[in-house]
Order: sequence, then C-alpha cells, then structure tokens
Amino acid sequence: MRDYPLENRSAFSPSVAAGAAINLAPVTGGFVIHVLGDAKSDEAALKQVLAKIAPELGADVRKSAPNQWFWVGDADVSSERLTEIQAGLSNQFALADQTHGRVRMILSGPSSRTVLAKGTMVDLSADQYAIGQSAMTQIGHIGAMITRVEDDSFELIVLRSFAGSLWDELHHMMAEFR
Amino acid sequence: MSSLVKCPHCGLRPREEFTIRGEVATPRPSAGADEAVWFDHVYLRDNPRGEHREYWHHSGGCRRWLVLSRNTLTHETSEVVDASTLKLGGGA
Repeated sequence: MRDYPLENRSAFSPSVAAGAAINLAPVTGGFVIHVLGDAKSDEAALKQVLAKIAPELGADVRKSAPNQWFWVGDADVSSERLTEIQAGLSNQFALADQTHGRVRMILSGPSSRTVLAKGTMVDLSADQYAIGQSAMTQIGHIGAMITRVEDDSFELIVLRSFAGSLWDELHHMMAEFR
Repeated sequence: MSSLVKCPHCGLRPREEFTIRGEVATPRPSAGADEAVWFDHVYLRDNPRGEHREYWHHSGGCRRWLVLSRNTLTHETSEVVDASTLKLGGGA
C-alpha cells in the first residue's frame, strides 16, 4: 500500500485559450472506472444500479467491449468509497479503478472533427455520431476511446503511458488550425 | 481490396485496427491419433482460392476474437462473427 494519497493531476496544461478554432485541454480530477460485467449483464441494468448506489457520481458509462464499460465522472472517488460501491454491486459487475491508469483530454472547437479525421476513420459527423456516443478505436497507432461530449467537443480516453505521445500527435494534427 | 471490416460489436472499422491470426483450424485430432495426422493439423495449411475462414482479433477496438469469412481472390469479407459463437454450435 502507498503511504500517502496520490494526487490526480495532469502533466499537461491547456494549449490554446478557450473559444479558439481548436483547443486541447486535459481533464483534471474525476475518475475512470473499468466495469466488467458477466455474459448476461447489460448497460441499462448497470446504469440503474449505479444510480441507486452512487447517485452522487452520475452514471456516465461508455461501452468499450461486449459487457465492458468505462464509467467516468468529474468527482473524486476515494478507495474507501469505491470499496463501498463494489460491495453494493451484485456479483454481476466487477470494478477496476483506472483513474491513474487512463488520461482524459478534451479536443474542442469547430475544427475538432477535421483534426480527429487525420487519425481515426470512425465517422464523427454530427448526424452520424450523437452527443454522448463513444467508440473504442485508434488514433494513429494509439488506442483511445472517443466520446462526443458536446456539439464540437470530443473527450479522448487514453492509457496514461501513451498520453504524452497522443498529446504531441494531436498538436501536430492541430497545427494548421492555429 | 476492401479495407473495412464490419465488427459485430463496433461496426465498420479499418483493417489497421485488427490483428490476423490465420486460418480457422480443422477440428483437433484425438490425443492418440497418428503422428502424421498431428503433423498435418499443426503444420500444414491450405492456401485456398476463394472463401477462407480466419481468426481476426479486434485489437484496436473491442479486443474480441472474431471469425471472418474472406474471399482470397477479391478480399471481400462476407460474414464476421464473434469467435465465442463457435462454441455455441457454429462449428470450427
């Protein structure tokens, strides 16, 4: 066990002022929890049970694979609270804290789709990709989950050890719009 | 060549997201089978012209093993299913 609490702080700082044609910003704080369900689990049941046992954390779950989800939110979750939540879930779902293992970042602005199109082939057009929709895919060679969070705003979830590389890559992809 | 694969879980994705493991092998011989039969099973592979079934891993997406039917002449993919469905009676 560690002797002191880890501080969840991003190594990156926002690159451009908000309102620019393109902006990349790290998400500081919050949690990312990998939820693994059994073969019979479904998303509706998961959302329902999360809303019941952890209403303060929201039920923003994103499908990453069959019977697997990433549960994300902006509050901080202590390991004690996580143990409580796990105890409240039936054996149907298992939680794995990924808060320190995955980095969230937001790419926003009118050019965000054009920038992402350089790295991924998932169709992110507004009429194809609804707000709240997400996909586990690759940006270049880096595995990332892309979620449309607002009109022209996408949240990327990437393994922490790849975050620096993706951050640099996105800066190259964004260069023409700045 | 079609470079898009229709993953049953993720939808249309580029071939780059997948790792190809190779042909879906013939059923495993019995433990006491002849050495020649085992040699065939382990080392010898057909190189068919036309329909071919292969294991593909969606390593860049849902990370599921899939079984894909591919035409080796046209590279068209006709049927893609999750490999776990083979256990349920799809046959190997």
